[in-house]
This record gives sequence, C-alpha cells and structure tokens, in this order.
Amino acid sequence: MRVVLSWLRELCPIELSAEELVPILDMKGLHVESIVRPWEGMAGVVVARVLEVRNHPNSDKLCLARVDAGGTQRELVVGVRNMKAGDLVPLAGPGARVPGLPEPLSARMIRGVESEGMLCSPRELGISPDHSGILVLADDVPVGSDFKAAFGLDDAVLDLEIEANRPDLLSMVGVAREVSAATGIPLGLPDTSVTEASDHAWDAATVEVLDPDKCPRYLARVIRGVAVGASPLRVQARLTASGMRPVSNIVDATNYAMLEMGQPMHPFDLELLDGRAIVVRRARPGERLVTLDDVERDLSEDDLVIADRSRAVGIAGVMGSADGEVSPSTRDVLLESAYFEPKGIMRTSRRLGLLTEASTRFSRGGDPEILEPAANRAARLMAEWGSGTVLAGAIDVGTAPERRRLSVRPARASLVLGYEVSAADIADALGRLGMQAEKADGEIRVEVPSFRPDLEREIDLIEEVVRVQGYDAVGSTVPGIMEAGGFAPGYLLRRRIRQVMVRAGFREALSLSFASASDLDLMGHEEAVRLANPPSADEPYLRTSLIPNLLRALARNAYRGVRGAALFEVGRVFRSGPPEGAPVDEREFVAAALTGPAGEEVHWERRELDFFDAKGGVGALMAGLGITEWAVGEPAQRPFHPARSAMVLVAGLPAGVVGEIHPGVASGLDLPRRVGAFELDVGILAPYAGRARPLRDIPRFPPVRRDLAFVVDEEVPAGAVADALREAGGDLVDAVVLFDVFTGSPLPAGKKNLAFSVDFRAPDRTLTDEEAEQAVAAIVARLRRDFGAEFRSG
Amino acid sequence: MAGPKDADEALTTLERELERGRSLFAAASDLDALEVAETAVLGRKSPFSAVQRLLGTLPEDDRKRVGRRTNEVREALRGAMAARRAELEVDRDRTILESDRVDVTLPGRRLRQGSLHPLTIVQDEVVDIFTRMGYQVVEGPEVETEWYNFDALNIAPDHPARTMMDTTFLGVPGHPELVLRTHTSPMQIRTMEAGQPPVYVVVPGRVFRNEEITAKNMPVFHQVEGLAVDEGITFADLKGTLETFYRALLGPEREVRLTPSFFPFVEPGAQVEVSCFVCGGEGCRTCGHTGWIESAGAGMVHPVVLENVGYDSERYTGFAFGMGHDRLAMIRFGIPDIRLLWESDVRFLEQFAGQG
Repeated sequence: MRVVLSWLRELCPIELSAEELVPILDMKGLHVESIVRPWEGMAGVVVARVLEVRNHPNSDKLCLARVDAGGTQRELVVGVRNMKAGDLVPLAGPGARVPGLPEPLSARMIRGVESEGMLCSPRELGISPDHSGILVLADDVPVGSDFKAAFGLDDAVLDLEIEANRPDLLSMVGVAREVSAATGIPLGLPDTSVTEASDHAWDAATVEVLDPDKCPRYLARVIRGVAVGASPLRVQARLTASGMRPVSNIVDATNYAMLEMGQPMHPFDLELLDGRAIVVRRARPGERLVTLDDVERDLSEDDLVIADRSRAVGIAGVMGSADGEVSPSTRDVLLESAYFEPKGIMRTSRRLGLLTEASTRFSRGGDPEILEPAANRAARLMAEWGSGTVLAGAIDVGTAPERRRLSVRPARASLVLGYEVSAADIADALGRLGMQAEKADGEIRVEVPSFRPDLEREIDLIEEVVRVQGYDAVGSTVPGIMEAGGFAPGYLLRRRIRQVMVRAGFREALSLSFASASDLDLMGHEEAVRLANPPSADEPYLRTSLIPNLLRALARNAYRGVRGAALFEVGRVFRSGPPEGAPVDEREFVAAALTGPAGEEVHWERRELDFFDAKGGVGALMAGLGITEWAVGEPAQRPFHPARSAMVLVAGLPAGVVGEIHPGVASGLDLPRRVGAFELDVGILAPYAGRARPLRDIPRFPPVRRDLAFVVDEEVPAGAVADALREAGGDLVDAVVLFDVFTGSPLPAGKKNLAFSVDFRAPDRTLTDEEAEQAVAAIVARLRRDFGAEFRSG
Repeated sequence: MAGPKDADEALTTLERELERGRSLFAAASDLDALEVAETAVLGRKSPFSAVQRLLGTLPEDDRKRVGRRTNEVREALRGAMAARRAELEVDRDRTILESDRVDVTLPGRRLRQGSLHPLTIVQDEVVDIFTRMGYQVVEGPEVETEWYNFDALNIAPDHPARTMMDTTFLGVPGHPELVLRTHTSPMQIRTMEAGQPPVYVVVPGRVFRNEEITAKNMPVFHQVEGLAVDEGITFADLKGTLETFYRALLGPEREVRLTPSFFPFVEPGAQVEVSCFVCGGEGCRTCGHTGWIESAGAGMVHPVVLENVGYDSERYTGFAFGMGHDRLAMIRFGIPDIRLLWESDVRFLEQFAGQG
C-alpha cells in the first residue's frame, strides 16, 4: 500500500515527516518498505502561456513554440503539436530539472533551431504515464508560477507492507486510523456528502442479486450527464504516486475513493447495460468474457459475474469487461459498490491468475458497511470532476452481515501478555481503534467494526491491546524448564556422521533437493517422485540420490581449476513408496564423491584418488560410528564401474554402494577417469551406530608374530582368504594385517601373492612356538583346501 | 726409549709427560685419535708407566715423594682426557644428527583436510544454545501434507497467506495433499500430537518455496522452529527467550525488538529484529541503515492450533518462533551471494575448515 503523505495529512493532520513516521508505523506492524519522493527530481519547471506555434523550418514532424514564462519569452522545439496559442503548458527552461530526465536541461540546437529547454509531457513530469503530447493545463494557474509548488508536488510516498489479515489497511482511512491511534491526533473522514437531483436512481436502473451468498449486499448509485475527460492534475499525480494509472475523471473518481476508503467500485456506462439492469449471478457453463485487459476468459460456474439482461459485463470483484466500460461518449454512469464473499473472489482471482486492486481487497475481506459512504464519496467526486448529477438515493440490495460481538477478560490478557492489563487499559486501547467498550461481569465487551474481519476471538483483541500499548511494553522472562535439553537420535547421528566425514578429509556440500530426468537416468532410478509445479522446469523430480549433484559439483570444481576434491553431503532423498505403504519414501542418505590427485606435494606417493579412497571413506565412517559388522558384496549397478564397485552390507543388509564411477559416465560429465563415490542409507546404519560394547581386557601376554604369504589365483578375493585365515586360526588369531599384494614375475600369469602379518595370542598364557606353528599349519591346510593356496613362507 | 733411573729423573719425566699428555689430548681431533693419545701417554709402554715401574725400586723417602706426584699427574691426565672425550663425544653426536638434517620449511605430511558447511556450523550453534536452555531438538519430514503444513496451523484453504507461500506440490497420483513443507512449523503439530505439555522443542530443517534462484533467494532454505507450550507461558517469555538466544549467538550487547506481524498460527504475532551485529545498531548496508536485522517470525501459539491437537487452550498457552539461518550465516561469514552456499566450490568450502 502506497501512502501519499499529503493525502494522509488530510485525514489525520500530523506534522511528522515521512521519516519520523517510519518507527511509529513499524511499532504498530505497518512496516515501511521504502520512502519515495516521486517529484524530488523536479526543479525550475514553470507555468508558461503559448504565444505562437509555427512550423519548424527543417522538419515536418517538429514545430516551434514561443511561450511567455512570466516576463521572459522563450522559443522551443516541440515534437508533438497538441497545444495552441493561449494554452498554459509546463516549461522546463535551461537549468530546470524534470523527474523523467537524468540531467538538467540546457539550450540546444535541434535541426538548426535553438530550443531553450522543453515543454513537458505528463510522463516527463511524473504525473501519469501519458506521453502522447504536451501537458495542457487548466486555465487557473498564474503564468510564471512554479509548477511543483502550484500542484503540491513536494510530497513523499511511504510504501507499506500490509499483512494479509488487515484489508482495512489497504486504504488511506485505515492507515490514518492507525496513525491516529498511535499519535492521539483525531481522524477526519473524507467528505461523503452528495447533492442529489430529484430523480431517483431506482427509476433509472434495476439491480437483481441472484446469489446472495456470494454477494450479500450490492449498492448502486446513478450519476447522470457526466462529461468524461481528464481528472484534475493533482488527482492524477496522487493516483500515479499510489501506483494506479489515471484513466478519466469517472474511473479516477472510483479509484480515488477506493484508495481513500478501501472499497473497490466499478462505474458502468448505464446506456450500455441491456435493460438498464444489473444482474448478479453465477457464470453459465461455457460462458466467456473479454476483460478490460483484452484477454478472453473462460468462466466457471463457481465464478460470480455482474451481468445485464443479456450478458456478463464484469467478473464480480475482479475485473470489468469492455462491454460496459465508461468511454468518452458515456453520459450516464451506474456506480457499483458491493460486498462479495471473500473466498469466492480469492478462488476466481487465483484460477484466472488475475490479481487486481479490487480482487486483492475483496479476497482479504471487504467492509460491508462502507458500501454507501464509499459510493457517496465516488459520486461526489464524479459530480465535482465530471460535472454530473447524482440521482437521489441508492439501489441497495441485501444487507450487511451482523457485526461480531467479542469480550476480553483482563485476567486472560494479563496471563497471555505477561504483564498486568486492567479493564481500563483494554477499554482505552480498543477505543483508540474505534471500538466502543462496555464493561460487564468483569469483562470488556465490544462490537467489532465491519472493517476488521480479522478480529474473530478474544485472543485477537488481546493482540490489539498489546499492539496499541506497544510491544515494547512487554517484559523479558524465560520459562522455568524442568528438564535437560537434548537431541533426537537422528540429529545426533547426523552430527556424528558429519564430524567423522570431516575428520576423514571430506568437505561438506549442500545441494538442492531436485533432480532432472538425466539425473534419474544416470542413477537408473525409476521410482522418482515428480513435482506438480517444480521450481525449475529442468528439475521436475525430487532427488533419489545425492550422487548426481556431488558429481556435478566435482565437475564444476575441476572446470574451475581446483586440484581434486572430496565432497560429502547428508540429506534426504525421495522415492515413490510401495503401493501398500506411504506414498513417498523419504530417507536420509550420506554420500561422498572424490577425484583428482591424492596429494601433489613432496612426500606423497603421486597417484589419483580411486576406489580404495572411496572405500577408505566408508571404512572411516563405519569406524567413526562404531560399526564393525559391515562388508562389501556384489558389484554395484549404474552409474558405477562394474569391476570397481560393490554393494555395502551392514549386518548382511544392503546399506548402500561404494565404487568408482563408470568411466563412460565420468567422461560424459567432463570428469576425470577415476572418480570414487559412495552412498549409504543412514536409516540402515542407525541401529548399529554408536552402540556401547562390553569392555574387553587388554591382553597381558605377548603375541607370536608370523608373516604368512600365499599364492592364489588372481580372481580369489583377498577378503575371502583373510576371512578363511581367521577362521582356521581360531581363537588364537588376534590380528591379521594384509601387508602386500603382488602379481607378475616371478609368479606365473594369473597368480598373485598375498602376504599377511598375523599375531597369535592366548589371553591366559604366553603362547609357545609349537602352538603358533600348529595354528599356522591349520591355516595353510585350510587355504590350500579352499583356494588351492600355495604357502610360501612362515 | 730409556726410562728414568732415579727420583729426579722420574719427577722430570712426570712433569714432561703431564705437559705432553695435555697437549696430545687437546690435539686429538676425534675419539679414535684420543684413544691413540691415551695409549701413548698412559699405556703400558709410556714413560709414565716407566715411572710407575721405577717407584718400587726407589728408597722409601724418594718413593713417597715421587709416588705422591705420580698420583697427582695420573689424576690430572685422566681428568684432561675425560674432559676432551666429553668434548669429542658431543662433536661426534653433532655430526651424526647433522647428517639427519631436514629442510624444516618443506611441507609437513598432512591428511586431506575436511570442513563443515557454513550452514551446518550456524545450525549446530543455534540448536546447541537451545539445548542448553532445556529444549529438545527434533526433526520432521520434508514432504508434508497440506493438513500439517497449513490447515492444522490455522491456514485455511482459501486463506490469503496460503497462496502467498509459493507452495511446491508433489504430483503423486491420488495424493494431491502432499507438499514440500514451506516452513518447519508442521512439526509444531506433530510434536504436540505425540505428547502432552510441557513441550519445549526446536526443529531445524530444510524448507521449500517455489521461487526463482537469485542472489538473495533459493527455492530451498533452512529454518529453526521453536515451540514452548506449558501452563503460564507468556508473551514476555517469548521475548526473554529470544533475547537470551540471540545474545548467546551474537553477543551479550545485542538488543531484540518485537513488532506486530501476522502469521495465522500465532496471536499476537511478531516480527523479530536483532540490533545489527555488523554495525552495532548504528546503521549500515547490511541492516539497510535501520540498525535492525529482521531475524525471525514469532508469536503466541494461536488457540485454534492448540485446539487442533486436542490441547486445552484455556489451561495451556505457548509461544512459537521460526528463524531462517541462511541469511544469518551469510551475514555472519560475510557471504555476498546466497548461491555460493549451494555451488559446492571447494575454494569456498575450504574457508570453513576448523570451524564448527
């Protein structure tokens, strides 16, 4: 809501500046977003009389005008020849400034003739968007007077953010009422008195409301014999500053009265209404209407229309149509001032995507009692600006809903607000907002004004009390909480995961929760959840995996010249749920991706990050969470490398994947050949993470350490050999370290050497060499049997 | 070489050997040379040993006289030699260590460096303060139903606030009620449904608004919701709680200001502003020259909301607040463009190492 300061002062005569108003309005919940002075850039523009208009010697389009600027004469080159000798026009001479131009004007040659400044269009002066010609002024300002002073343009406009529950504040009167409550300076309402002709409105037109639920009250006045033209310059300037486009005196009168009183109204050309009738009804199936913005609208039976005897002439509370529109030839006007049921207007406005000044106000809840004063105001202005005659009476169909009656208990207000609020305090606060309070049974009872649909129950009035008294009246206490704070297990686990990943050298990344079709294709996922209205058309799904975004992040980093990266993310992913379960399966995953050199500095083995770095990340995570019962299983699916990937199992359950990204996929994403990644389902890890285990005794006897090397076929998994080794060694095997894997000469092709360092230990005695040798013998026998392993050393 | 033959000669020899020994030991350049010198001066074939052997043959009073001097000279030589040995041992150790010398300016062996995301850092700080104040941290689903996201929170289907939320709807056939939560407030309802008062919880999480990506807006951002419901909870408790929190997070000199605002699920509703922690309230670009930074929405839980979960709205009152921490993190770390939070640029992320 844009509030023109001079206008506000007409309704509540404050002497505060715009800047001084800001904190006062802020503290009442009317937040000022900006202060604009639309005519700040105007200086030195004067009113001049045109003495002569003649042709430009070198141009057919341009003309020359000689004007009297109050003693001095100036000659100007003008682009549009809409003024004639004797007209009053705004002149910006050399050195003058206009809001529409960045620099002061100067005399300059135009096609060989010197122009001493310019004559201005309404747009150049910030009066209206009209740029079709020079602004020709009414003949009531002295020649030579300062334009800005003459039309009161030294004004400020406050742009207020109005909360959705306060339709009353979408009006100058509503804002003035709050300013009055805050400052104690009395509110003065606009003049709504009308001089009426003897003819009656109800003889000139009829109104029929067929749907009183959607239109509880409809009021019409008739203004006869109007002369449609421009409205006064000051009015145009105020409308423009308020964000509305001046149209004509008749339309401007309804808009001006709407801005003042908050009631959207509509003027119809009475002669265009078939049967001089207004019929308020539901739209018919298949009914169409061309709205004033020249768009053909398909209506539904839920929409309410304003019609005449034959056709709809407007969508009720939203927008009129060209069919009943006021035009320069209009003589008689039917002025509509109605109250529509808010939710219906909201639905129609939303369905048609048509958000207008009217629909915004009606859908938030109009004031059913303002219909008549607002219509009177607009009719008065039409008579004043358009020299029309207002017919006697108003056609008033239906009734305003009853006012709501509410009560406030002072004790309840004190309890909620945390400070003592007396009955007198409440009566005073509500009184300032125009609510007459009466005391009964220790309560304060009020009748809620029709312009406050937001006041529905006691708590709403308690808020009004603290709002009037000021939120700074509220003290500071804290509740006495009788329990220790803490974390839900899921939050603690995620925090642990993040800490472990950071310790393992991964950087945390965050990515949006959306996925593209190619992301799903990348992952081979089909059960994705599609969004009905995705924020970005390129990513219409909810992500099913954290990996695609991490891979893209790696690619971006590589493109930007970053030497390698290791990223992780913990976040939610989504799949369509199984038919019998919840429709969406929302899970928390942890994923990581890494690529580039393992370390480029001296001391480092120069190599690229690969599968084993990814698997190392899984190992670090499992160790950090205290999960020992994990293993790798079958190769992973897309987008992983079939020979360098594996499922990750926790206690035998599939918990995720680890591996290198398929080189084809990597190159498709402009990634290096080796990219490691893993992704785990946090929900699967959770039951195994961070479990307390009984403390084991620290071994008191020394181990017997043996290095055991075996030659096996290359395809035998080292993990399987190690498992068998442990099992065969039995309780005496304390630690097994695979310290070397070797292939090539002198080994025959297809063979590899696995070298283990094994600690044998007994808990209760120093192991003898003989005992260790027996264990080694058992191991050798077992590995020979299971894998054909050839024992090389002991 | 002939040995001394009498006492006088013996004494002369002793004095000469003392001199010679001292100079030989001093001249020894390493421990091996010192050993050679020791043999030469004190060994079996040395003049000194010859004096010792002569002693037994000397008359009693000569023996006493020469014997005393012999002992003195032996002690002096042994002392000189030990001193020299100590010196040479230091030299030897120094040489060995010198051969181990490294260039200490070469980089140390390091593990890959990890780091937390700045939003995580801020979120952890926020929830840690609330747990210290006695709150439980709980979390809820990102996919919500319209009931939890809107209706139960007193946001009716045709409520203007509902259309302004820029809601993203899921397109799951048969489930038009599913949305991406537009705020963390649905957890108010879920938490209250799960138990009876007292309720003191904070809910961190990701929320969604159907908005274009710009330097200031993302379709995904983060909030922390707070809810306190108990007997006798007041508006003053809300203000005091927010003051305590913001002072813990941003410094003890911070002021908190509540101004009227509207959210359908609270009444009275408030906009929460904190005195600018960049300029200290003087006015700067960050706070738009107002001295205040808009930080949260808050208010007393609307009785309708309490009634929607079956609480007795006469007996219990409560307050709720919701704060976005993306902007908080941006101001805190001086991040100029919100998109940086989502680009996963290592050159950005690495700057948060060691924090959180």
